[in-house]
Amino acid sequence: MIRLIRAELVKLSTTRLFLWLGLLIVALSGFVTTITILSTDELSLATLNQQRSLAQFAAVGAIIALIVGIVLAAGEYAHGTIAHTFLVSPVRPRVVAAKLIAGAIVGVLVTGFAELVTWTIAAAWISGRSVPFLLDSRAILDTYLGILGAGALAAVLGVGLGAVLRRQTAAIVIALIWLLVGEPVLSIAGIQEYAPGHAFAAVAVAGERSSELLGLWPGLLVALAYGIGFAAAGAVAIERTDVS
Amino acid sequence: MAGAPPIEVRGLTKRYGSTVAVDDLTFSIPAGRITGFLGPNGAGKTTTLRAVLGLVRPTAGEARVAGEPYRRLRDPLRRVGAVLEADSFHPARSGRNHLRVLALAGGIPLARVDDVLAEVELTGAARRKVGGYSLGMRQRLSVAGALLGLPELLVLDEPANGLDPEGIRWLRNFLRAFTAGGGAVFISSHVLAEVAQLANEVVIIHRGRLVAQEPLETLMARAAGGTVARSPEAERLRALLAEAGLEASISSADELRVAAPPERVGEIAAAAGIVLHELRTEAATLEEVFLGLTSEGPS
Repeated sequence: MIRLIRAELVKLSTTRLFLWLGLLIVALSGFVTTITILSTDELSLATLNQQRSLAQFAAVGAIIALIVGIVLAAGEYAHGTIAHTFLVSPVRPRVVAAKLIAGAIVGVLVTGFAELVTWTIAAAWISGRSVPFLLDSRAILDTYLGILGAGALAAVLGVGLGAVLRRQTAAIVIALIWLLVGEPVLSIAGIQEYAPGHAFAAVAVAGERSSELLGLWPGLLVALAYGIGFAAAGAVAIERTDVS
Repeated sequence: MAGAPPIEVRGLTKRYGSTVAVDDLTFSIPAGRITGFLGPNGAGKTTTLRAVLGLVRPTAGEARVAGEPYRRLRDPLRRVGAVLEADSFHPARSGRNHLRVLALAGGIPLARVDDVLAEVELTGAARRKVGGYSLGMRQRLSVAGALLGLPELLVLDEPANGLDPEGIRWLRNFLRAFTAGGGAVFISSHVLAEVAQLANEVVIIHRGRLVAQEPLETLMARAAGGTVARSPEAERLRALLAEAGLEASISSADELRVAAPPERVGEIAAAAGIVLHELRTEAATLEEVFLGLTSEGPS
């Protein structure tokens, strides 16, 4: 199993995927962090809550982790390399398991990178203002851990979704439309807190009180249920699908 | 499993909805030989090969490799090397990295990657992205992937498609060298001439069903055909040939067709003092035999 996981990680690291997604993280985190700091007065910026909000911008990494998960599964069908994969490892549930574990590892790495980028950009802007830098406070540690967990789970869900659909572009588009349109629509009905995006957000903010989100543990349970559910559906779909 | 044929297909059937791609196909291939897998486009060759390799689940029947279903093989890369389409690569990944992924997943030492790249003469292009490879280079990369585990069986699906004459010659020499080392090769093609220069055996399918499985020499003998003789005493000659155990048919007033070499027909006619106006071999080409087999439908 370890060799399959290593192979999955090498697959991801030997294309330009990480380069482009890394640039995307820098652009998104950098833009939002910069705009927020520049538009916030120093009194507000000096509070722990405000700087925790800055740290939470790194949760964009969980969306990138979701895309990486989709690419891990559906990308192989897009390029036809899935045949090579199954020729080397014909027991398909093992392949799916390797992709899920590799996805979770990369999800942590991607969100960790997003945290590093957000932290660095915030540090650069805050050092120019007369406010204390609190992003290295132990009080924000739960936020950092929550974002890493959300990244791992989002990548697992992405692998499952990619395996179910087996069409890379369609899977990414559907996931983004769901997050940008589907969940806001659910918000109107007041049932958004059980939707996957909101469940992952509850994990990412580590249970910070919000009327729109579940608490940490219920959120984690719902996010886990989505991750496991999509992973199981993906495993069944891949097992039943011919590679022709 | 010791003694099991490299590939054994029994009652294999694959349906896609109402379309029957492979219909109750049964054959096996011998060890240490090159077996050509022939049939027109759409005959079911690729589906059969993918069922053999565990990529397609049969509707009925089974396919075994060395006595086991492919999905149950331990370390399949060390047992079977497969060459499928030449375009199933990530275009942004280098050839060397493609092979590294396979070697890592298959538990093959990474040193083999450079060995097989040298074997298929791709060392110089190893670090280039596959998207920039020519069709021939991608085909060689496929072969390199198939060789990683030093398998005893190679399965190739239309490997000559799109190759230039130099590439085809390289492939031919390579496969001959592989079987000289004791390996078995199962190679599909819709062009008999391609396989005829290589194969020892042929399996021919049409519309998903087996049409013929025989040594290439037997197919060649079919192609050798018979003899046409013209004589004013055609009926008497036919009777004499029948006495000699040779089946002959009168195709026109003075013309006979005999399933025997012209030398034998000429000797019988001369011994009986029968005048011959014409004596010639009627030879079909291998391609004509192939087309005949695959146009009449399954036997």
